[in-house]
Amino acid sequence: MTETFLRTIGISKSFPGVQALNNVSIEFFPGEVLSIVGTNGAGKTTFMNVLGGIVQADKGEIYIEGKLVEINNPLDAEKYGIAFVHQETSLFPYMSIIDNMCISSFPNRIGFIDYKLAKERCESTLRRLGCNFNPRAKIQDLCPGDQQIVEIARALLGEHRLIIFDEPTSSLSIREKTRLFEVIKSLKKEGISIIFITHLLHEIFEVADRLIAFRNGEIAGGGIIENITYKDVISLMIGEKETDSFFGHRTLKVVGDPALEVESLSRRGVLDNINFTLHKGEVLGIWGLLGSGRTELARALVGLDPIDKGRIKINQNGTIKAIRHRDAKKWIGIITENRRKDGLLLPMSVKTNISLASLRKLISRVWPLIDTKLETELSKKLVNRLDIKITSLERQVATLSGGNQQKVILAKWLLRNPLIYIMDEPTRGLSVEARSEVDRIIGELVDSGAAILIISSDIDELMNVSGRYLVMRRGRIVAEFQAEASKSDLIAAAAGDSHKEVC
Amino acid sequence: MVFKNNNSKNEKGEMVRKKERLANVSITKKDKVRIFGQEGNPIGTRRVANMRVVSYLPFIFVIALFIILGLFIPHFLTIRNISNILLQATPLGLMAIGISVVLIGGGIDLSIPSLMGLSGVFGAIFMKNGGNPFLVALIMLAVCILGGCINGFAVGYLKMVPFIVTFSMMTVAMGAALWITKGVSMGVPRVFIDTILAKIWGIPVVVIALIILTAVATLLMRKSLYGRWLYAVGVNVEASRVAGIPVKRVIFSTYVISGLFAGLAAIVITARLGAGAATIGREGVILDVISSAVVGGVSILGGMGNALGAVIGAIIITLISNIMNLSHVSYYLTLVVKGFIVIAIVAINSFRMK
Repeated sequence: MTETFLRTIGISKSFPGVQALNNVSIEFFPGEVLSIVGTNGAGKTTFMNVLGGIVQADKGEIYIEGKLVEINNPLDAEKYGIAFVHQETSLFPYMSIIDNMCISSFPNRIGFIDYKLAKERCESTLRRLGCNFNPRAKIQDLCPGDQQIVEIARALLGEHRLIIFDEPTSSLSIREKTRLFEVIKSLKKEGISIIFITHLLHEIFEVADRLIAFRNGEIAGGGIIENITYKDVISLMIGEKETDSFFGHRTLKVVGDPALEVESLSRRGVLDNINFTLHKGEVLGIWGLLGSGRTELARALVGLDPIDKGRIKINQNGTIKAIRHRDAKKWIGIITENRRKDGLLLPMSVKTNISLASLRKLISRVWPLIDTKLETELSKKLVNRLDIKITSLERQVATLSGGNQQKVILAKWLLRNPLIYIMDEPTRGLSVEARSEVDRIIGELVDSGAAILIISSDIDELMNVSGRYLVMRRGRIVAEFQAEASKSDLIAAAAGDSHKEVC
Repeated sequence: MVFKNNNSKNEKGEMVRKKERLANVSITKKDKVRIFGQEGNPIGTRRVANMRVVSYLPFIFVIALFIILGLFIPHFLTIRNISNILLQATPLGLMAIGISVVLIGGGIDLSIPSLMGLSGVFGAIFMKNGGNPFLVALIMLAVCILGGCINGFAVGYLKMVPFIVTFSMMTVAMGAALWITKGVSMGVPRVFIDTILAKIWGIPVVVIALIILTAVATLLMRKSLYGRWLYAVGVNVEASRVAGIPVKRVIFSTYVISGLFAGLAAIVITARLGAGAATIGREGVILDVISSAVVGGVSILGGMGNALGAVIGAIIITLISNIMNLSHVSYYLTLVVKGFIVIAIVAINSFRMK
């Protein structure tokens, strides 16, 4: 085989609470398309960020053409000829296509930009991608697919040796996609190394030469595409053994009356005709890839995001009634994805955080002020019940560990005691112990008759707690599975089977 | 699954040991790590500080100031003199309560003094034309509350930037006041002055009112539903929304309240000066108002401080102004000094919280 262009040896990287990459060694050959797959959180993106200089590895070496190099920032990566097409476009919306494409390498004469030359370069690159936009158009006037094209064109503009495509097709039309694949093939002929990341597995078989699967931050396996089947890819991604849920009772549980009914909920461009029912005493797991609309669904249900269409019905003392969308928060407690951003009042005390959603209940009978004694008492009870490890209720939540912070959020909703809970990534970034405790609390809640909708990127965890699954893709519910479903069922449904893929 | 976890744990243990061996390289590298939007991002953590001790500082400072001044200036620590100082500090104290509400809620209101000025002008005009002083006092309040409503609507519901909105309102109110009066101050009737400046047992009624309002505002901030909402919104709007707090209404109300206190300040100051004038809301006053709050421990980042602190801050600022005035320091130099005091305190706060 030809000489390697880039080689990584033993790359490791940890974030607080997570070992994102562990001892990853990969070789990249010129003129080859290497596809990297893995479930959410497998470490793909972190690895790419290491190569792109966005994140620095804790350990490990990177060699380019045999020479040890350090990539400390995106400029270094650019210097070594590494280009990165990001999953989410990182363009400047108010600037023109030319400005965006040339921002890091404007052709200039004594500091003045040579716009004529820049325009020529941009036009020829765009033509190569089969587009004839006016390069002077502003990014904000382009549709998301076209923006993605500009992002790709930017990577093609320079003299790059390795181009990383992180889910480049997510907002492209079929025509643009085919065109992109052709461009990738021609880049290959020019001897450029290409890394292609996608969740849509059939695309791999269209463009890739070689495949590497990541699992839990490690390389799970891989090989030349010709020798790999669709099934192999899935089993590499999720591991050999189909671990079944060990909370067996979840599957046996008889569910109660409907607690929440959602009818044709839609939000333009985000959610498309969502229908489902959630029962009392049931944990409904929502599985989908990043960007499939799962978080958006959660936010829309509780009224944090607007909806265009649809009805939400909630069980109120035995009868199921449609509610006004903005009142949804009265019945639904939501644990959001990012607890630091929108879950906690970080500089405030544990007590303040716990009582935050239930202040109306805590108003004293004597005068219209908060009964602080009652507040302390109830908070203390919850702290004990959830085993939050603190010495004082006045402790600031910012100083707590992730697990304890998450429990404070749980305590906040437990005090409010809604019928329905929506939990978006309830165990993200938590230690193993904290995870199992959160799972235990979820179990207790369900046993007490609460209805829980849970979203998690960690399929093992999702399968541990859920009794039924909905699979989302591109803002739609594409499949429903009962507790017996296997991991590969879920993953295949979320990734989209190549035969059923609607074009 | 359980197996896997144990494994990864062991590996982690090994990792740590390996890391220790490679200590030099890995630690320096780790320090350089920048994570965008990842878990470890300390959003808001710099505001974590020991609030307890800090909240007593203004108290200690004001008492120390009184004692020192008492030692150097004869008859300083007499009830008469102290109530005089408090009377002087009352308009500023009222405005400080108003701005502390807005600041705790995460906003800022620059229009307070100019609304006060406009309100004073309106009051003087109505009284000159024979309006009942008590009715006129209500009109004066209404003018400021209306201004506050506009501010609150723009910031809370239209999501406009508070700085720009209230800065524009400041210009509008001051411009209107100057335009109406052509820059001349207009006298108010004796009865109005006498009523407002009446004394009970030698203490001005307005000072007593200030003390009561401070106590009530501080208690409500601490213990009422609204107060809790206020702090929550000031600390984190998103988290408040998730918790079901009516964020828009809370933000709107903070500006209405600051308008109300601007109106109260207008009544007191018009009585004290015996005239309504556009110039009472001049630029230097907003500096005093913000200084009072900041000196009193209210954070300009929101979610921290209380009304009592702000009022104590107002007393401190009044004392400083007085001392400099008595020492024949130029008014302009006073502005320079007060400006630096604010910068210094904000700087100390941000260093302390790092």
